[in-house]
Amino acid sequence: MSVPSLQRLRQVPRHLLVCEKGHARDARSRHAAHVRDHAYNCRVSFLIPECGMLPEVLKSTIADVGDYYLVRNLSVHELVAHEFIDAFVKKGSCYALTYNTKIDQDNTAALLPTGKLILSVDKDTYEELGLQGRPSQYSGKKAMRYIVTIDLTDSTFHPDSKKRNRVLWALKEKKPLEFDFLLAWYNTGAEGSTLMSYFSKKQIQALKPKITFSTLRDLQCPVLQSNELQGKPEESCSTEELFEWLGAVWNQVSLDNKSSSFLSTYCCPQPNMMVEKAFLCTITGFIIPEKIIQLLEQLCCYFGEPKLAYWLTLTVHGFADSPVSWRESEHGFHKGGENLYNFVIFRNLDYWLQLAVGTYDDCPP
Amino acid sequence: MAGFADLNLPQGPDKKSLQSLLETAAHLGYSTVALNHVIDFKEKKQEIVKPVCPSELFPSLPIVQGTSKRIKVLTRLTLVVSDPSHCNLLRSTSANIRLYDIIAVFPKTEKLFHIACTTLDVDLVCINVTEKLPFYFRRPPVNMAIDRGIFFELLYAPAIKDSTMRRYTISNAISLMQICKGKNIVISSAAERPLELRGPYDIANLGLLFGLSESEAKAAVSTNCRATILHGETRKSACGVVYTVKKPRKVEEEETTLPACKKAKTQA
Amino acid sequence: MARAEAAAATFERRVLRGAAEHQYLRVRLELPDGGARPSVAQLKQLVVSALRELHGEVGAALPVDILTYDAKTLSAILRVISSGLVKLWSALTLLGSYQNRRCAFRVLQTSPFLLALAGNSRELVLD
Repeated sequence: MSVPSLQRLRQVPRHLLVCEKGHARDARSRHAAHVRDHAYNCRVSFLIPECGMLPEVLKSTIADVGDYYLVRNLSVHELVAHEFIDAFVKKGSCYALTYNTKIDQDNTAALLPTGKLILSVDKDTYEELGLQGRPSQYSGKKAMRYIVTIDLTDSTFHPDSKKRNRVLWALKEKKPLEFDFLLAWYNTGAEGSTLMSYFSKKQIQALKPKITFSTLRDLQCPVLQSNELQGKPEESCSTEELFEWLGAVWNQVSLDNKSSSFLSTYCCPQPNMMVEKAFLCTITGFIIPEKIIQLLEQLCCYFGEPKLAYWLTLTVHGFADSPVSWRESEHGFHKGGENLYNFVIFRNLDYWLQLAVGTYDDCPP
Repeated sequence: MAGFADLNLPQGPDKKSLQSLLETAAHLGYSTVALNHVIDFKEKKQEIVKPVCPSELFPSLPIVQGTSKRIKVLTRLTLVVSDPSHCNLLRSTSANIRLYDIIAVFPKTEKLFHIACTTLDVDLVCINVTEKLPFYFRRPPVNMAIDRGIFFELLYAPAIKDSTMRRYTISNAISLMQICKGKNIVISSAAERPLELRGPYDIANLGLLFGLSESEAKAAVSTNCRATILHGETRKSACGVVYTVKKPRKVEEEETTLPACKKAKTQA
Repeated sequence: MARAEAAAATFERRVLRGAAEHQYLRVRLELPDGGARPSVAQLKQLVVSALRELHGEVGAALPVDILTYDAKTLSAILRVISSGLVKLWSALTLLGSYQNRRCAFRVLQTSPFLLALAGNSRELVLD
């Protein structure tokens, strides 16, 4: 044992919180890129202080988040079929993620809108597949998990190429892999077949995201200053304090404790102000970044007219069992599999962006 | 990486309580469990019965939480040995023994521990957690067992039931870790009731208390259990039965340098 | 632990590594049917006694907050200082009885981010 037991008991699992500030209308701002690069999102929620009713535009943006699909027992080779690639992968953004698979226990697959198919498989499966990959970053010295990345849009991946035939053969005959897949497809305008009709012979279900609204009364909100990420004593709260407070609000934690309370010493960070009401909305499903960018844009437009609120927040939770977090950076599950981010949009369209990941993740971009 | 397993659910006579144990295990996220049949040679003449057939016992097995798969149920035989003569049974070609998926041995003396680690054809060696260790672990047999692919089993349910046993569990586990360096450890429950079972992540955390590292602790409820099961499969097949073994393919492994975490940076 | 560099224009980025002061646990207490259900104060006492039983007085002195408690479902969110996570978790794991009846703490989720507890994809049913 390299680490004495006693010290081991005090160890804190690795995690990262990245905080950025910028301006939403700054041409160089990367905030939208961060949203676009985080492909798989299971829950999007926003909070608007001093808001009792949503403006119509926001309502219709939410209603427009769109369906996603669940296909049962789909063989992975179907995603490599050139009909599929031509109809969906090369036209618009196609998202696929295995459903009900655990990244720390099972084989998992994901198709990114960039056309990259990612397989995260255990050692046995990897050896049986015989496709080229690399050991997972998070499976220890003796690799027990491997990552195979196949670029479906690569020019060498045309229907008759050796490479593609080998992939097809591996996935069809060597080691057929079958999963339940969550699917979504986004394309701008171009007509074409739909996922529903393409997979009509499979067990496919069109699903609607679940949307819930609620209003909180008399909510203590931290005072924030957009140019002070770290906060200023007596003047404004820091980004970490805001992040915890937001967690408290979404988990219905009582904020008005006395710090001397026997049960809990958590209280709303100082300084804070009481807002009469706050509007909360949660969307749950398989939500693609394009729709989140639209929502983010509409939330920025919310401040187009004078509003009482100083800021609002938009929180996005990723899938704990996705093989990637941002872009293609590998994601794993140690004890939590966290990958989430949160925007604070200020009245003047300055923003804070908080990106959080757990133990088995690279630093967010 | 493999699914989570609990290789020790005591196989009592009551089918209903076993069913509720299985349901709880599946609910907690275990994808494999082993029903443990214990034979203590100290008690009257014991005969090795055929293992129960899990699919006969439970026509519909519970579904593992958050998946669409049913829990996998294996059979295990544990021999409690306090005299070298007890081991003869393992050397004999008793047909019934070979029907079990996993064979474990619980040695009561240092000599028997030595024999179990070095010569017996078993998959698991049980570590006493309910009383003070009657002997010290020594490096040679422990290393030999590790080389032979045998795993050491620690139980946690006794530590939940009784605070004295909790002390023995932790202290015996730490003694073992000093010798085996955290290698080849399996942690199972031996839970008789659903409320004595704990989830796999709970046990991975508990492993830190036993002196395991984070990854060793998680392996103790996942990959090491899988290795134990594979060890059992090869043991079963070793007796003249033709067994098809997967031919490990040579795979060109690409050494990629891991992207270093980006440092804090400021963008103009 | 925090790295900060001078802001260029208004853009600024801070990377906080392992800086969380607290860890959060979502737990559910499982009791046999018909047993007395603890009040929130009793739950806190139970947690402290579990800590004392396994880790002694030092363990009992660990600051643990009960952030939420639903007496109907016996679910709670606990907060503990980061260095105390392993101790609190193991104490809950080895706790076997409440008021002389068997019980079990089911730890449903742990995270250094309270916000992560509000969106656990492993518990979402998307079909």
